[in-house]
Amino acid sequence: MLSLRFHGRGGQGAKVASRILGTAAFLEGFYVQDFPLYGAERRGAPITAFAHISEDPIMERGVISDPDMVVVMDETLLQDTRAKPLSGLRKNGVILINTSRTPEEVTADHGVEAQVVTLDMTKMSLTMLGEPILSTPAGAAAARIVGIGEESLKEAVENVLAGILSEGEELDENVKLALSVFLAVTPLDITTVEALPEASPVIIVPFEPAHISSPTINALGNSPLRKTGNWRVFRPVWNREVCTKCMACLARCPDGCISLDEEGFPCVDYENCKGCLICVRVCPAEGIERVREAQVL
Amino acid sequence: MTREMLTGNAAAAWGVRLAEVDYVPVYPITPQTEIIETLAEWISDGMMDARLVTMDSEHSMITAAGAASATGARAFTATSSQGLLYGFEMIYTVAGWRVPLVMVNVSRGLSSPLTLEPDHNDVLAIRDSGFLQIHCETCQEVLDSIILAYRLAEDERVLLPVMVNMDGFYLSFTREPVEIPNPEEVREFLPPYRPKHAFFMASQPMAQGVAVLGGSAYSYFKYQMHLASLKALEVYGEICAEFEREFRRGYGPVEGYMLEDAEYALVMVGSFSTLGKKAVKRARDRGIRAGLLKLRLLRPFPEADLRRALEGKRAVAVLDQNISVGKGGILYSEVASCLCNSKKRPVLLSFIGGLGGKNISPHEFEFLFEKMIEAFEQGTLNGPHLLYTEQEWEEMSLLKRTAEKEGAA
Amino acid sequence: MKEEPIKSFRDIPGEEVLCSGTPACAGCGGLLTLRHCLKALGDRVVIVNAASCFTLLAIYPLNPFKNSWLYTAMASAPAGAQGVRDALDVLIEKGKLDSEEDLKVVVLTGDGSAYDMGLSSTSGALYRNLDFYYICYDNEAYGNTGFQESGATPLGSKTATTPPGERHPIGSELPKKDLFEIWKSHRPPYLATISPAYPIDLINKFKRAGQYRGPKLFISLVPCPPGWGTDPSRSVDLAKLAVETGVWALKEAVRGEVGHTVVPKRFKPVEEYLRGQGRFAHLFRPVRQEETLREIQERVDEYWRLHKLLL
Repeated sequence: MLSLRFHGRGGQGAKVASRILGTAAFLEGFYVQDFPLYGAERRGAPITAFAHISEDPIMERGVISDPDMVVVMDETLLQDTRAKPLSGLRKNGVILINTSRTPEEVTADHGVEAQVVTLDMTKMSLTMLGEPILSTPAGAAAARIVGIGEESLKEAVENVLAGILSEGEELDENVKLALSVFLAVTPLDITTVEALPEASPVIIVPFEPAHISSPTINALGNSPLRKTGNWRVFRPVWNREVCTKCMACLARCPDGCISLDEEGFPCVDYENCKGCLICVRVCPAEGIERVREAQVL
Repeated sequence: MTREMLTGNAAAAWGVRLAEVDYVPVYPITPQTEIIETLAEWISDGMMDARLVTMDSEHSMITAAGAASATGARAFTATSSQGLLYGFEMIYTVAGWRVPLVMVNVSRGLSSPLTLEPDHNDVLAIRDSGFLQIHCETCQEVLDSIILAYRLAEDERVLLPVMVNMDGFYLSFTREPVEIPNPEEVREFLPPYRPKHAFFMASQPMAQGVAVLGGSAYSYFKYQMHLASLKALEVYGEICAEFEREFRRGYGPVEGYMLEDAEYALVMVGSFSTLGKKAVKRARDRGIRAGLLKLRLLRPFPEADLRRALEGKRAVAVLDQNISVGKGGILYSEVASCLCNSKKRPVLLSFIGGLGGKNISPHEFEFLFEKMIEAFEQGTLNGPHLLYTEQEWEEMSLLKRTAEKEGAA
Repeated sequence: MKEEPIKSFRDIPGEEVLCSGTPACAGCGGLLTLRHCLKALGDRVVIVNAASCFTLLAIYPLNPFKNSWLYTAMASAPAGAQGVRDALDVLIEKGKLDSEEDLKVVVLTGDGSAYDMGLSSTSGALYRNLDFYYICYDNEAYGNTGFQESGATPLGSKTATTPPGERHPIGSELPKKDLFEIWKSHRPPYLATISPAYPIDLINKFKRAGQYRGPKLFISLVPCPPGWGTDPSRSVDLAKLAVETGVWALKEAVRGEVGHTVVPKRFKPVEEYLRGQGRFAHLFRPVRQEETLREIQERVDEYWRLHKLLL
């Protein structure tokens, strides 16, 4: 059995990617289970999806804590302390990362011990679909790596996306994108060794009085700890040369991430700016540029 | 202290008045309405310093009561039957807020078919919510239980809401002499509510009732409610002892009647326990060593007390005034779970009686004791058994014929 | 107490009462609305929240607010506000709470609760003349569950429960409820529509509302990128277009007297607003739903003619 875990951001298509893989494997005659897990966070926030592919009936439910392969649809997630996309990855497992960099660079930067495959899915999607939606390339790349055939992949993309896309045109483009991903990636031998999970003993939970154990938050304004800055695909960058300090960007930021510095110029809290880019659009001086996050890394 | 003839509803109102409640959001429903009408009169006349607001539904009413409690006020509200079910969502919500709201439920059978008279399916529907449950047998017990309920709910080791339950009609509309304690004495027993964990004030903002994500956080909060509820058993013992010293009336979590040396024990809850006690006495007259155990607390469930009291009996019959459709009596299952690991476990029988307020006649109690003896001596066990007489069946047949039901017996 | 109106972005209070790092979507029009509402109200506020996307603003242990907050349920946030307001009043009256500790009570809800499930408890609070603020961020569907039709969904909108199909090509076949008029019939002292694209208008409305005791109600039409099928960066543009096309009338009713606060000199065609929103795409492709497009425009024109602002 192969167990895969997809890590993406809400709206990027991790769930659909897992379904493309799941359907393709199903069409190849395997036993399959796929499953998304999303929390309260919306578009842009880290989400996970899972797929099991097996020649025998699958005796599993729920999250996969020790995958054979992880698909990291957004490179910035590698540093995310909550998403932790590499946690539990089995020895000799595979990491598929959406990045413009080479496997060697990623391996060196993040100190990962696994078979690393890199593919600039965002670039491919932007080129072929015009949008950074990664369900097709991520699903297709994962399917190719685990050894699924071209026909099953094509049919899976059609099956899964037909229910989601309203326009036939986009479907054709997605199939084309899937096939070009199929050619860009090669299958890998995935023979992993189960990592022994650290044993944590079952305890007797002690009583705590209500001033501790009620679901009340006494901290005020601590949500910036969530660091939603890692949701961004693009970041806004201010050009002080043209900024007129009109404060339009401040007034329009839904997240209140923009403030004024000592000189009265807007400055942004990149730790939490979600990259909605409203500021770019509303700047009357056109003094804010959008820069792809991967280029900043 | 004064002594007056009071209905259960009036006794409830007196309990609320003596507890010096700040806030009472209300909504009418039979047979509870007299409680809120009485409070409305006192508040209007200035005899009680509280604010009463008529809400737009029980759902709104329980929300407002819980929110006031979360703000730091001592709040009260009351409902019954359909009203409790209409507000059901907020019962769980308010319990999860960990606020010491006290409510009265006047038990009444649940629709459909719609009815007015009591059984306990309404209050047992909220069994698992986190509300503590005190069940009353007499009007005096209603008054005293409300005072105890605030003391229990507001204890820092507990901080869970409490439901005080009385049966509709047989308690709510029944008058009995009731001792009304002096306000000063009650004030001493029940000091003002000064929350340290949940309140709203400008100088100390907090976010209450927040969501959690992930099973481990959710498990923590839910299980802490359970632990607090168990803690309430210990606290209840302490405050009842204090109450008894102060007011000379004791209320254990369970009450035994001729139980000590009994061989055959009946388990009951609520106002019909009085009928059960009478039946026990008659059985004793007939030479049967009968006894009765009344459950006063249903949540937390007084498991150890119950086990201690029932172990070694020949047979125990649980008379449920409720029905879990497709299973039987709800309390039967709960009592059984307490006894199943005991080495001195009695034979356990399940009876259902008093649904929709149906009377339980002396003969039906006799039948029940006969069945207990039979079960012990011959090992015959079947059930649950609905207590229903031939005469009632014949009366029902007449009703069916009048309704022109074809093929009815 | 009457407060001076503000005139420019520079006058918008600088302090953020609502902090960043919320789980709300990038480009959420509701969040932008709330941010300005809280700037207008300050932090001596307790928000009573109905089930909606904003249920999830405070998720244990992270809290974006510097003010107080209570999450209730979908149907009964106004009843929760009643309980909090009454409790504060009673505690202050009885001397158990210093009047310095008093708070403004604010209901926060999406359109699902405001237009549908919470209407009974809202009506109750209005009837009781509860002294509170009520903010509805209206994205015209049940957004938190994936964008299903609500009483606020406009004619012709695709939602998850009104998918355009062969038998039902236009999506939602029902016009939006008029919540402003429903509220107005209860005669509250102040009610207004607001927009996240008009923060100065928004803040000044809160300043005016502050003079009145009783219910003070605000509905904000808020772009919702995932539900509306729009790019997050366009949220302010869309909110503005809704006003410029006349789809969203910015107005207030002070003691029942309706006045429009922003009236476009020349109304843009409604199609400019509809186009480019995924939820209306089926009205243009593969075939133009002429009749529906005409009806949507006609309903807008009719509104402005009725108010004698379109001749």
